[in-house]
Amino acid sequence: MSQEIFWVLLSKKLSGEASPAELKDLENLVLEHAEWQYAIQNLEDLWKQQPPKDDMQAEDAYMLHLHRMKEMNIAFGDMPEPLPAIIGKNRIRKWYWAAAASIAFALGLFAFNKFFNNNSEKTLVAREVNEISTRQGSKTKVELPDGSVVWLNAGSKLTYNKEYGQQLREVTLTGEGYFDVVKMKEKPFIIHTSNINIKVLGTVFNVTAYPEDKQTETSLIHGSIEVTIKNRPNNKIILSPNEKLVVYNEPGENGNTHLKEKEIPEKIPLVAIKQLTYQNNDTIAVEAAWIRDKLSFKNELFADVAKKMERWYDVTFEFENKRKENLLMYGTFTTETVEEALAALEFSFGFRYKIEHKKVTIY
Amino acid sequence: MHENEHIKRLLSAIALNNDQTACKELFLLLHSRLKQFAYSILKSGEEAEELVSDVFIRIWQKRDQLTTIDSPLFYFYTTTKNLSLNRLKKQKRQVSLSAEDWLVQMNSIYFNPEQLMMTEEIMRQIKKAVNDLPSRCRLIFKLIKEDGLKYKEVADLLQLSVKTIEAQMAIALRRISKCMHFDIKNSLHYTGIKK
Repeated sequence: MSQEIFWVLLSKKLSGEASPAELKDLENLVLEHAEWQYAIQNLEDLWKQQPPKDDMQAEDAYMLHLHRMKEMNIAFGDMPEPLPAIIGKNRIRKWYWAAAASIAFALGLFAFNKFFNNNSEKTLVAREVNEISTRQGSKTKVELPDGSVVWLNAGSKLTYNKEYGQQLREVTLTGEGYFDVVKMKEKPFIIHTSNINIKVLGTVFNVTAYPEDKQTETSLIHGSIEVTIKNRPNNKIILSPNEKLVVYNEPGENGNTHLKEKEIPEKIPLVAIKQLTYQNNDTIAVEAAWIRDKLSFKNELFADVAKKMERWYDVTFEFENKRKENLLMYGTFTTETVEEALAALEFSFGFRYKIEHKKVTIY
Repeated sequence: MHENEHIKRLLSAIALNNDQTACKELFLLLHSRLKQFAYSILKSGEEAEELVSDVFIRIWQKRDQLTTIDSPLFYFYTTTKNLSLNRLKKQKRQVSLSAEDWLVQMNSIYFNPEQLMMTEEIMRQIKKAVNDLPSRCRLIFKLIKEDGLKYKEVADLLQLSVKTIEAQMAIALRRISKCMHFDIKNSLHYTGIKK
């Protein structure tokens, strides 16, 4: 009986709930039971501990919160531009964007009619087009005329013509972009890639559409977007936050070899909706980690990781040992050099490599 | 409790001066706790994240009334609970008022072995003991030990009696301390052999 009272009194004492009389009772009980002293001491130590503060996580959440308020049109004084801050000012090296901007050649206003040549006739009048592109190993940030912001990952290209924002906001993307689109109900924002069109009203999402990849991915961070696949204009796919749409450009090439080509209607890509992937303790999805200067992957084939690393580090990969292409890998790199990253992967996943003049050979 | 006083100061800065820095400080101070509490009702990390944002939007919109709040920490938890339950209702999901169903995220209760004179094995056992507590007991333990709420406040929040809170806390402590008793026997045994 005294045992039960003891635990009630002790927990009250630790929580600061005990009255002076109760504290006295507790003292008397402990005098009778010296063997409890050790546990009391440890519990008191345990109690004094404060949970760790994850300020970075809270900072990110706060930026998203401001972003939501802005979307809901709730006035909050002079709000900071939300998305640049999502990156977290303590995590990004300030010189980075300046350097990236000088590396990326922003080619303004030159004639480019390929993307708008819908009826495949070359007689269309060439329109003035803005093109922004990035080399391998570099990234850049673009602000569009309406204030929407696009981060462009390595080896990517974004184009838009001068009618942008008049009735529609249309851009064309090759490669990978992270979009933060300003809400404008009457002017939908449309992204064209080689095999899908994405229509949005105002939201944050990531699109990966590298021509050399076997798939095109659209990852929604928040808001909602509508995706149409070029060969199936009547099928509209609405994505919810934390979902991604994966469109396989060449069905049956990898992993789907059991599907004979005859079974797949010609030119119609395979489509799947998947959940975004998160690394342990990370608040940002693997799919969008690159905007925070992180090269991140989880359960991906070495062959796919190698493509990411080629763009990230501006190197090329060759697999002398083809079996290694199928290693499943996970990892996150930030400031590591390509040598450090490879050494870490070698250690964890068991392969051998050599690197000479930006060429990585896996054997 | 001085945390409540600190929150009060921040709230009055928001109420009187529309102070955005205070708003941010408050958000950073409470975000993870409120998110975990919202998670225990909504059972979705993303929705819990949005819900914390909703709570702070409400705070901002009602900022002229903020100075009248007596126990601000409790106010935040109550608002989080009410908005969470509203959200469940709107989604026509089952609204569970019984704390039995409230989930507490594993490892949301924190111990740092380096600051304690305990072996890692003991720490592992303590963590396991906490995680093995019945979910209601674990939630009560977390709200009091980690989040700094009073017995009475937790009782109101979870619609339980203060006696129940006392009993649940006693259970939690007893189970945790069992791991430590184990340690004391072992170490006595060990020194016994040495002598």
